[in-house]
Amino acid sequence: MIKLSELTKDYGTTIAVNKLNLHVRSGEIYGFIGPNGAGKTTTIRMMGGILSPTSGSIFIGGLDMAKNPVAGKKMIGFVPDRPFLYQKLTGMEFLKFSADLYNVNPDSFEQKAKNLLQQFALWDWADELIEAYSHGMKQRLIIAAALLHDPKILIIDEPMVGLDPEAVHMVKDIFKELAAHKTTIFISTHTLSIAEDLCHRIGLIHKGSLLAEGNLEELKRIAKLGEARLEEVFLTIIKENTFI
Amino acid sequence: MNTILSLIRPRVLSSVNSLRQGNKKNNWARISMFGTIGLVFWIGIFVIAYRVLSYFHNVQDFGDILAMKFLSMIIIIFFTMILFSNIVNCLTHLYLSQDLSLLHSLPVSSKDIFFSRWIISTFDSSWMILAFSIPIFLSYGLIYKTGILYYVIFPMEMIFMCMIASSFSGMLVLFGAQILPAGRIRTVLIILGAVMVIGLIFVLRLTRPEQLVNPDSFASVVIYLNSMQTPDSPVLPTTWISDAIRNAIHNNTENYMLSMGLTVTFSLMLIFLNNFFAQKLYFNGFSKSQTTPQRLFSPLKYKGFDWENLLNFLPRETKAFAVKEIRTFFRDSSQWPQLFLMAALIVIYIYNFSVLPLNKSPIKTVYLQNLFSFLNIGLAALVLSAISARFVFPSVSMEGEAFWIVQAAPVRVKDFLWIKFFLYYIPMTILAEILIISSNMLLGVSHFMMILSSMTIFFLVPAIVGMGIGLGAVYADFKSENPTNVVTSFGGLLFMILSFGLTGMIIVLEAGPVYQIVMVNLRGHHLSMLQIIWVTLSFVIALFLCIFASIYPIHRGIKFLNLK
Repeated sequence: MIKLSELTKDYGTTIAVNKLNLHVRSGEIYGFIGPNGAGKTTTIRMMGGILSPTSGSIFIGGLDMAKNPVAGKKMIGFVPDRPFLYQKLTGMEFLKFSADLYNVNPDSFEQKAKNLLQQFALWDWADELIEAYSHGMKQRLIIAAALLHDPKILIIDEPMVGLDPEAVHMVKDIFKELAAHKTTIFISTHTLSIAEDLCHRIGLIHKGSLLAEGNLEELKRIAKLGEARLEEVFLTIIKENTFI
Repeated sequence: MNTILSLIRPRVLSSVNSLRQGNKKNNWARISMFGTIGLVFWIGIFVIAYRVLSYFHNVQDFGDILAMKFLSMIIIIFFTMILFSNIVNCLTHLYLSQDLSLLHSLPVSSKDIFFSRWIISTFDSSWMILAFSIPIFLSYGLIYKTGILYYVIFPMEMIFMCMIASSFSGMLVLFGAQILPAGRIRTVLIILGAVMVIGLIFVLRLTRPEQLVNPDSFASVVIYLNSMQTPDSPVLPTTWISDAIRNAIHNNTENYMLSMGLTVTFSLMLIFLNNFFAQKLYFNGFSKSQTTPQRLFSPLKYKGFDWENLLNFLPRETKAFAVKEIRTFFRDSSQWPQLFLMAALIVIYIYNFSVLPLNKSPIKTVYLQNLFSFLNIGLAALVLSAISARFVFPSVSMEGEAFWIVQAAPVRVKDFLWIKFFLYYIPMTILAEILIISSNMLLGVSHFMMILSSMTIFFLVPAIVGMGIGLGAVYADFKSENPTNVVTSFGGLLFMILSFGLTGMIIVLEAGPVYQIVMVNLRGHHLSMLQIIWVTLSFVIALFLCIFASIYPIHRGIKFLNLK
């Protein structure tokens, strides 16, 4: 469903992503972890069509993002790391704006928006301007907007930042349910426990390159560790720069 | 004091670093461009002030009175400008800046934060007025051949004037923030300020200053001049400042010492009071400003009517952008005063044409009608350029940090920019045609001039809007706290220059052919073959320029945003 081939982003002074190759299957939850400045957000922004790669390709649902960006984006629900929104729109107006851009059926929009707002505990705030929302509420609204058009692929940068434990639990359940219905989810996170709980496979990126990839058991093998948490695996691989 | 300096240091370092980092070539181009424009203005002010004062100086009896009245008027205007601009600046720097949460978490007193911010705010609102007051005071010095002491007194008086005005505004803001959250005060103040400026424009215009050259009104002018001799109130700081400068001009040492002493001690007393009130009030006001903003006006809802339905003829994604743009624009209170000012500008613009004394002119009316109608095209285009600089050019930057939504949406950047173009092109065309047609009707011009000017402006508007959107995309600043400020950036200035340049070129291209056509019509002749070729070629080049300016900048903008 998602394929990155030799993906590179060179900012001139730094190579943020260096010949990255990845393949995420349909219905898979893929965790993308790595230290600060590893290239996670740059990769995610390129996948979401926000940043153009220096070289390499991104295939979304078989479509080359360089050739068919609009069709590719229609399949994606994108959630960035920081919840910047149009401050002067209300929550409901923002959902309507998203629905129009993603061509959501107008007949089903209202019910769908209501369900999502209720699910994310934002229904009481639906007609308030977004500038009055807290960080967590904005984050929940973005996730709700990303789910509005039933995307085949969810690309999420730090999904749990700013969410309270109840919302984290709810979001995790939603992701699991979506994956069960064949939605592909690509999550970048620093919160290793979330990657451990949620992801079918995990990719570890460091200095723009993929150091290791696999499920938790496979990663433990790569790190030559027995019974260990993802945190120990992460630290060992980063320290030893183990390559796949 | 060290803490205050430490708190100011990030601002100084940011300014220095912004000059050092990035594209140095572009930085120097920007600095030289702004520097040149500033210098031209500075010299322009000096020339005008020098000429006006020389003229006053040569007028017997009234000359000195006029020059000194002019001086006190300047002081009052500068004082009011600093006072008002510093209120708005203080509100932003003291209560609304994004870095305030960080500052208040630091182990420094809120009084130190207040003073560091107050100093920055005073500098921001005063430096330009101080810089551009120099040519005026220099003119006084040269005309009145003052002693060297005058050149020490006037800068000192100006600096203390800035301190007094900004101390007053600091205090007003401190007390205001106890009653209303800072964001709301800013909105109210901006609206009040706009209403005051509009009122002033209307009063000045409706008093019809052109009547001053009418001999019938000379009697009232004499009465007015007599009233000028009444001294200003002795309790106002502006009176002490003007007195000190006036006495320095006339080398009256004893009197300026008193006025100078009053200014200095009063400004120090105000700073002391600010210190006292800041300790008591600042943090409380800051806390209040952190509360959730509420809408100033609740949305109007009529049963069965939704204005969005008026846009149903648009494709779905275009309508989505249009609705978003209209909503965010009208809900942003910083846009409201601009709209009021624009409305006032249009009314004055049309009113000016209604009071033109064409019949009293010794030149034949028909020439003047056509001349004014033709020049009106340029004037209307310049007005539109100014409006575009304020509304169209910043429109891409107005997306701000939320621009990721557009980038991540299944919409091409090309479509996004063209949607923006049409959103501004339609209202701007309507506005331009209203200006042109109504002023032409008031002038009573020929059908030819009516059609020519309507058509010219019809093609000039997309060119201006296209340049605004295109250059606005190339020079977009998505990270600015106040995106409307991009108009004062290098890109904004470039837009203004190109827009004025294009208008000038179109006027020059059309002037000759239009003159020929009008003259031939008046004489009842026909155009020769050579004239027809010349006229056609000029209009075709003008049309080509307009089409090029409508499309090419947007093409550049698309390319630039795609590369981001």
